[in-house]
Parts: sequence; structure tokens; C-alpha cells
Amino acid sequence: MSLSRASARKRRRAVSAGRPRRHRLSLPPAPGKSDVDLSSMSPAMVDRLFWRAGFGPTAQDRAQWTGRPVSEAVGWLLSTPAGVAGSPGTRDGKPLDPTADDTDLVLSWIDRMVRSTNPFVERLTFFWHRHWATSRAEVSPPQLMLRQNDVLRRFADLGPNANASFRDLARELTIDPAMLRFLTGERNVRGAPNENYARELMELFGLGVTDAAGKPNYSENDVQQLSKALSGWQVDDRDPDQAKSYFTPDRWYNGPKIVFGSFGNYKYEDAVDLVLARPSHAPFLVSKLWGEFVAAPLDGATLQKLVATYTGSGLKLRPLLEQLLTQPALFASLDEPDMVKPPVVFTVGAMRALGAGVTGTSAADHLDAMGQVPYFPPTVAGWEGGLSWLNTNTALARFGFVAELVAEQKIDDVLGETASAAYDRAYAAVGSPWLAPGTEKLIRDYAGRAPSSSTKLRKERQLMLRALMLAGPDGQVM
Amino acid sequence: MTDDLRPPTTSGEAHALRCADCARSDSLVTDLPPTSALPIPAEALTGFSDGVPHARRTARGVDRRTFLRNGLAGVASVYSATHLDWGSIWEAAVAEAAEPMQKSLVCVFLNGGNDGLNTIVPVSSTQYAAYEAARSNIARVIGPSAGGRVGTTPMGGTGSTLAFANAGVSGAGNNGDTKGFDTLYGDGSGGPGSDLAVFPAADYTPANRSHFESRDYWFAGALQKLQTGWLGRWLDLYGSKANPLQAVSLDSSLSKQIRTGSAPVCAIENLGGAKFQLPSMSGDANAEIAKLAGVGAAAGNDGLARARQIYGLTVDVSNRLGGLRGTQPGGGYPPNSDLSRKLQLAATLLGAGLGTRIVTVDWGSFDTHGDQLPSHDAQLGVLSRGLAAFQADLAARGIEDKVVTMVFSEFGRRIASNDSAGTDHGAGGMMLVSGSAVRGGLAGEHPGVLVDDDGDLVTTTDFRSVYQALIAEWLGGEPGAVLPGGPHPALKRYDGGSALIG
Repeated sequence: MSLSRASARKRRRAVSAGRPRRHRLSLPPAPGKSDVDLSSMSPAMVDRLFWRAGFGPTAQDRAQWTGRPVSEAVGWLLSTPAGVAGSPGTRDGKPLDPTADDTDLVLSWIDRMVRSTNPFVERLTFFWHRHWATSRAEVSPPQLMLRQNDVLRRFADLGPNANASFRDLARELTIDPAMLRFLTGERNVRGAPNENYARELMELFGLGVTDAAGKPNYSENDVQQLSKALSGWQVDDRDPDQAKSYFTPDRWYNGPKIVFGSFGNYKYEDAVDLVLARPSHAPFLVSKLWGEFVAAPLDGATLQKLVATYTGSGLKLRPLLEQLLTQPALFASLDEPDMVKPPVVFTVGAMRALGAGVTGTSAADHLDAMGQVPYFPPTVAGWEGGLSWLNTNTALARFGFVAELVAEQKIDDVLGETASAAYDRAYAAVGSPWLAPGTEKLIRDYAGRAPSSSTKLRKERQLMLRALMLAGPDGQVM
Repeated sequence: MTDDLRPPTTSGEAHALRCADCARSDSLVTDLPPTSALPIPAEALTGFSDGVPHARRTARGVDRRTFLRNGLAGVASVYSATHLDWGSIWEAAVAEAAEPMQKSLVCVFLNGGNDGLNTIVPVSSTQYAAYEAARSNIARVIGPSAGGRVGTTPMGGTGSTLAFANAGVSGAGNNGDTKGFDTLYGDGSGGPGSDLAVFPAADYTPANRSHFESRDYWFAGALQKLQTGWLGRWLDLYGSKANPLQAVSLDSSLSKQIRTGSAPVCAIENLGGAKFQLPSMSGDANAEIAKLAGVGAAAGNDGLARARQIYGLTVDVSNRLGGLRGTQPGGGYPPNSDLSRKLQLAATLLGAGLGTRIVTVDWGSFDTHGDQLPSHDAQLGVLSRGLAAFQADLAARGIEDKVVTMVFSEFGRRIASNDSAGTDHGAGGMMLVSGSAVRGGLAGEHPGVLVDDDGDLVTTTDFRSVYQALIAEWLGGEPGAVLPGGPHPALKRYDGGSALIG
């Protein structure tokens, strides 16, 4: 895989670019489809939940949760500890070595996602990676990235860590060795302040540039003062496997600071608390999480409810996510999924649907072509995402990846198989994904038209059917 | 997928024995690095249907991300004396797209020195006897191919003095296609259906047999080395100041022909031609995907609408570029040929209406010092089929009367063959100019094979006279301002006229 493209990208510094996706807060809920029955999930609702909060449903998910309340399934996702099943992925027959090779680093996380027993943990871990975007392209040794990944996962593994809060996450990330390196916090020293992290802590991680009314959330003076509070931290990576950050009092700006009008001799914990105490923080984080899981706009009343839950719990993650994932809006447009699958979700989802594991570099290669390589976000603002995931190059990469996967599947030859039976067999083999009725009809037409007089032709029909079902236009949404 | 974007191998274009110092191409600019890389939006090839301005509007105010959000068809290496920002380049290109297409010139350089004498054969009895005697080990035969030797097909309007070698002529036993030099040439009258002008011995005097000296002169349009190419100077005077797509070398870097003093130009090695494809399947999934992309999405479902729109656009771009990889014959182009790929790319760019006036193509391996026949004849077959397919392609795009193609080589080869069944560097090479606007027929005199002390054909057409005619009659402008040492002699057509166009 060529990671040169990713590594060539520079961190963004301009304030205006890369602003997190903003949701219109004042619109009414999407019309129609809000009358879903949250007490008894339809198969389409199970599919929706497991796509948005995971990497797509398995047959077992469907069997287990159809007819049961959304709250039970969400409770399971939020309380089941992280775990993996099956044997670890390999690359050309050898074990993955994430600290020796960056492609293996990428593959090792894909492998964990594919094999995860509670996919929500990996999905939320990846959301944190998007949020606290840190790139291996500017962080060495790679052990720092793995260490950060463990931290992020701890704040996604909400069974064992039921009380995990965004405050604790922010405090850990603020002195995380990879982050100190990536946003040059390790060079933030008394007498020579480095404002990089202080600015991003507010702009990208905690508050956003402006509040809902368009008023600036912080001043340049706040950036300068906050950076003084954050000074004094460095990375000890003499033993990469035991890398840690450490505080040197002499490097810390020991003196009064005025942040957001408050006065004190602040340290990093205070800096985090000061930022997260701002009224803009809760709406900012709630909106960003909403955008990760829900396509419909976030209306003002729902925002207020979610903000109240979040702030009322002391910035805990689990109550907020529980309420968010049980919103009727998550189940809007069930007839026609309306959110573009991010490349990682598409890739891992296809592998899980086909029962495929990591055996080579294909997933990492194709993710590069799809525009999303884990551990290599293009900027500190993460990936832009949304509709921009899809262009003529990424569409080919998405189809190409799945085409390779289905070609590696074992496909029995069924002599005299009818077009209808061929369709049904292919549909089951790719995990019975959503297809619009018009799409299903066209693919059935293809099955009827495709020549099937030889073993080779019957196999080609199966391959084409599977690729069209899984990686055609309808396979791009969830 | 990425593998599919590589140029195809050129099987069927066997390389003959070549002299050692000719092993590198010297037609590209090497001392001038590109100044920037210009991404070419996928929709540049399909007409910017998706909200990006097209006719009568400009790209002003359209930011880069919006412009490229549907993906890239490729990347152009831009050579510009002044810094051009991305927006102004596309503003210029899109503005040009809104105007009626201007007259364009495609230059095909046959790299290595084509043996014109085995392409256009003198067949009057005296001349043929001398020809046959001088190169008995590679000579053509008069009439149909026979005894393992390639035959000839008479060229109309030459009084039965000249004939095309059948390697470049239509027919199953000739170039293997239904079109070739003969069908482009027609009756040679210059009327309708006679669209190929032939110059049997175009060069300069005294000829220099060095590949590099000769190429530099041809590219400079002067009998000296110049910093700029002849088309580069024309662009400086009459071209755009802002649109590098006005002149494109279909190569890894710039052809010396379009090296300018100030006007921006570019090189495009390849455009993506990838398609929705399954490994190990012969066909592709484009047709099925196109159907699925046509299913309508409910209003307000931007995600699904985007997915279907992009899949449809990808098929569209893929179809436009699909044949470029050369794995499949498309529109009569010879399969698996780099010439086909480049001519298809030229037709695609010209048809996209991006203000492209000049395209340069460098192709082939014509330095046939030994075992000439298999290599040379295969290439004549590809060239003749490719040119005819290119004309048909342009016609299908409705732009055949806006494009003229010039074919040339740095020199001809010696009249006498050598003992390796090849030919050494000579003079008096063949030039062709084709296009529906071209007045076809014999446009320069054939000197005969008996008259030069050096063993070369006598040059009857100064190549600068052809350039001069292309500027005066086709591209527009003042030839004297472009070509030093003029005015050059007017063309001497066999029918007594001097016009190249019309």
C-alpha cells in the first residue's frame, strides 16, 4: 500500500477550514417515517441499528433482536465488553506486525473490527479516532499510536467502563504521548508557548469555532492563556513499548492565567475542565455524535434533551449514547437507507457479511483508494465524510474491493440452477443486504439474462450477482 | 484497480534492432520541470452536468473541492512561465468550452526515422527496377502480396507512379482492417473522401543523419536548435495565456514541439479508464451498474441519490475512457497499441471542448537497422488503422472538420538496404496530413530513387513549407512570425496547386 499520499498531507492550521460538520438545529424532524415502534424492532430496524452502531447485522443479530425493544439491543451494545472471535488476521501467511510496518498497523485494526464480538466498541473507538484525529504520518514511533488506540477503546468499551466520561477522555488525550507529538504539545514550554493543542482543544475537540448563534467560542487571548496551562509535558519514548508522557514543573508556566475570564494558576486538568464547562461544549459534542449515527437533522428539542442528559450525568458517555441510539430519528427512512457508509464501515461491513478475514493487504490498499486509512487522518480535523465519501474514484475502489472478496469466496457449482435460485443463493451469501425493489428487479433481470450453460458461466453469474448486491449503488448506504 | 490505469504493453509492435544511441527518446523536454500538477475533474470529460458551470458560465467562484468532489479523471503536468492558480486554469478551460471549437492540430511523431520508401513505393518501371535493386532483401512487389513479400496498391492521381505498401492498406491480407491509408487517401483528387495529403520526401537540406539534430530541427521548425518549439511559438503569439490544456503532450513530459516562451501548456500521460470489473471475468459490470444507477431515490435522500449519481457518472467517464487501456478494440482502433490509446485520449480531450488546440503524440520504434520488415510492417498496419479509426472517432464526436493530423518522422532512411535486412539513417522522409478538411492527394513530388550521391532520397518538400501551410491555412496566424528564415517555398502539389486545406 502506498501511504505516501496520507503522509504528504499536512496538518491544517487555518481556523476556517475543516470545521466539523454542522447540523441545522432548528429544523423539524424529517417528515413521515417517525412512527416506528421502538418496543418491537422490525428486521429493517435491526439492520439500521447494527449498521449505524456497528458494521452491519449478522444473521444472528437479526434472529436475536427482531421483535424486541430497541432499548434492549442498545443496552446490549453499551454493556457487552469488547472482544474478538476467530483467529487473528494474517498478511500473506505471516502474523501482522503493527509496529514494524504501517500497512500491518492499519490491517491490525481492520482485523479487530472484523472479528469484534461487540462491534459498537470498535465503531465508537473509530469515532474517537476521527474526533481526536492523530496521524501516524507525523507520529513516531508507531507504538504511540497503538497506545492511544488503547485509550480510545477504553472510552468506547462502556460495559467495563460504565462511568467513562468525556472529561476523563479529554484529560487523558491532552497528555497522550501521540497527541503531544502530533500537535506539538511536547514543545509547549514556559517562555516559548506552543499554542497548537490549546487551539485545537477548543476548536476541534471541545467547542467548535462558534456557538449556535454564531458567536466566537473563544478569543485569541484564551488560546494563549490556555496554552500556558497546558505547558510542561513531554514524551519519554526511550522504550517505545513503555512510552509515556511526563510532566516537568520547570517547563510549566507557573503563574496566573486568565481563561474565559476566570483567573487561576491553571494546569492541564484545569484547562480541560475550563473548556468542557463552557456552554458550547455539550451541544458541540452531542451534535457531532448525532451526525455519526443519524442522517436526519437534529432538532432543537431533541438537542436540549440530549444535552441535559449529558451535562446532568457529569459528561458521562453511556447515558448520552443510550438516549441517542434509541431516538426514533435513527430509524427514519427505513425503506430507503439515507446515510453514506464511511469507507471503514463499508469495508469491514463487507468482510463481515462475507465471512472474510484479513489475509493480505487488500483492505488497506482499497481503503487508501476509498479515502480513509485508519491511523492516517488527512488533517487534525479528521475526515470530511458525508456525501464527499463518494466520487468516481472511490466508487471504483469500493466495487473493486468487494469484487476481489467475492472472487475469493468458495462458490459451489449448481448444475441447472434457475435464475431465481441463483439470485437467492447469491443474496444469502452476501448477508441479505438492503436493496431497493427497483434494484432487486434489475438484478433479477440480470440473473435471467446471464448465460449459465457452463460451470464457468454459472460462477461468473454468481460473482456478478454478489458484487452487484453488495457493492452497487444501494450497498453504499445504511 | 490501480493496475488498470497503467498504459498497456505494446505487443504486436515488435522492436527491431536499433542503434545504441537511439535507444532513448529525445523528443521530450528534460531540462524543464513541470510547474504544477493540474487535477482533471471526472466531469471535465462529461460536460459538468452536475452543478458545475458549463456553457456560457465560468468556473469563477467554484472552489477546488466542489470542482473535484466527483473524482479525478487524471492529472496534467503543467508547464507555465507564470504561476497559474487552479481556479484560473479551470476558469479558462471552462470558458473555452463555452465557445465553438477552434481548429486543432494533432502531431504524430514516428520515433526513430520512418522508412518512407517502403511506405510509399515508386512503381513506374524504371523507378521500381532501381528500387528493387537497391533493397532486394526488403523490397515490396508490385501488385498483390506474393511469395512472402508485401505488395503495393496504386495511389490515385499519381499517373501510376506511386503506390502504398500493402502493410498500410485496408484488407484482410493487408493491414487486417477495412480502413487504411488507401481509404483515407481516396482517389487522390483532393475532393470529398480524399482526406490524406502525402509528402513522399519531406525534410530539410542539407540533411543531418543524427536523430537528435534532426528531431531538434523538426521540433523547432528551424534549421537550428531553438529554446522553443514551432507550435510553442505559435501558442505564445496566438494561444491562451491561462489554459494549459490548449496544448497537450500525451506523454510523461512535454514534447519539444510545444515548448513555449510564456504560454502555459501541459503533458498528460494517461487518464483513468478503470471500470467496474470483476477479477477473472472477461466482460465488465459497467452495463449492469449503469442500470442500477438509474433507479430513482426518494426526494430528500441525499445519500442514496449521491450513490446512484456517482455510480452513473463513473460508468459514463469509464465508457469515455474505457478503450484507452488498449485491452479491447474500440471503434476500429487496433487493439493493444499505445498509438490507439493515445489517439483515443486525443479524441476524448478534443471532444471534451476544453480549448485544446494542439496534441502531440510520440509513438513507435522506427529505427529499423535490421530485420526491418516484421517490425516496420506491423507498425504501418497499426498506424494506418489508427489514423483511420481516429478520423472515424472524430466524426462520431462531430468534430472531424475541426481536427487535422500531421504524421512525421525525423528523417527517411537510405535507399539501399543493409546486409541485416534493414536500413540506415537517410533523408527525405514521408509526411502525411490527414483530416476531412485536408485536400488529399499527392502534395509533394516524389524525387525518384536514382539521383542522390549520398544514397538518400532528394528532399522535395521542405518540412517548414508544410508547417507554413498549416499555420496560414489552418491554425491561423502569420507564419513568418513563427518560422524563422521564411517565407518558405509554397507547396507543389502533383495537380499543380499549392493548397493543403480545402
